Amino acid sequence: MGLRSTSFAWGAVARLLHWTMLALFLAIFPLGLYMADLPLGVHKLRLYALHKSIGLTLLALALLRFAWRLLDRRPELPPMPAWQLGVARLTHILLYVLMFAVPVSGWMFNSAAGFPLQWFGLVNLPAIAHSSPSLKQLAHTLHEAGAWLLVALAVLHAAGALTHHFVSRDRTLTLMVPWLRAPGTGGKP
Amino acid sequence: MNDSSSRRTAWRQFTLLAALAPFAASFADAPAYVPAAAQSSLTFVGTQQGEKFTGRFKDFDARVAYAPDQLATSAISATIRIKSIDSNSPDRDSALVGSDWFDAAKYPVATFKAAGIRMTPTGPVGDAELTIRAKTQKFAFPFTWKSEGGKAILDAKVALDRIEYGVGTGEWADEGIAGHKVEVLVHLVLVPVPAPAAKH
Repeated sequence: MGLRSTSFAWGAVARLLHWTMLALFLAIFPLGLYMADLPLGVHKLRLYALHKSIGLTLLALALLRFAWRLLDRRPELPPMPAWQLGVARLTHILLYVLMFAVPVSGWMFNSAAGFPLQWFGLVNLPAIAHSSPSLKQLAHTLHEAGAWLLVALAVLHAAGALTHHFVSRDRTLTLMVPWLRAPGTGGKP
Repeated sequence: MNDSSSRRTAWRQFTLLAALAPFAASFADAPAYVPAAAQSSLTFVGTQQGEKFTGRFKDFDARVAYAPDQLATSAISATIRIKSIDSNSPDRDSALVGSDWFDAAKYPVATFKAAGIRMTPTGPVGDAELTIRAKTQKFAFPFTWKSEGGKAILDAKVALDRIEYGVGTGEWADEGIAGHKVEVLVHLVLVPVPAPAAKH
């Protein structure tokens, strides 16, 4: 399996980015929900620092992933009804938008709160907004709503992929999970 | 008779004044000033998670008595109201006035005093005492002084260790969260206090 994608499957780079981002999201999302209600203390600040570090990592990966998607080819989807293609396409576009919007709104939230931004204690990043209670409120709302929308879309995306695999029994899921065999082809991809 | 006695009294007063003249400077108090609030500032630079931030205390009183030739009576005093802290982040401010940091409810003010002011090659230096959270630290307080048309400008910069004052100790002592060193910048634009009689 090469680094680049083929017409039959996503390449190693695309797969690594896809699954790494999922794993990081599964860590950062519950962390974000948990940390917000903690009482102020060093523990809370450390968890925020971790959340921000993972978030910056996800933002960098989103940039990389988007750039790679522009350069790399995309596998061909198996035949499916037009409405499914439409929903899949819209879901993918929104997921890409949120991959940027959620971390950027978090960064804005942090800047508007007047807090520092550090990546794993190593590098400090500048504020992207002035300290402002009203902007802080707005960015917080966007960040939270965006994250929940991302969860909803990711669930829809996964449900679609699983439906194709187990119900339509086509090779959609095998594009991203290459060790899977397409169910309908008797073992041949 | 009248004439000669009054002349004698005048003479006596003159000799008394002449005898005291060399000490006159030490008897006169150094002129007193108070800061013009709008132009004066008390700023500090701290570090949070590797990033410097600037804050200030918006509400403080100060009284400065200073003249380069009247150092014996020169002195500086200030009272800083902790709740007036503004670090450009309401979240951070509410933490800073809390019990882990300045504990403004229990220790609403910090006080500063400097006396024993002497002239050094680099400018005047006083012996300062700063009290925060009822903890007093002594340090040398160098400052610059500029007189301009009746006003005076005092500038000073000192580095403090917040731990010495018990500000953010325990788990907050972690320098990865907040640096120990805090730089304080004093900028006072001073106007003369009218007369000692006007003192309240």
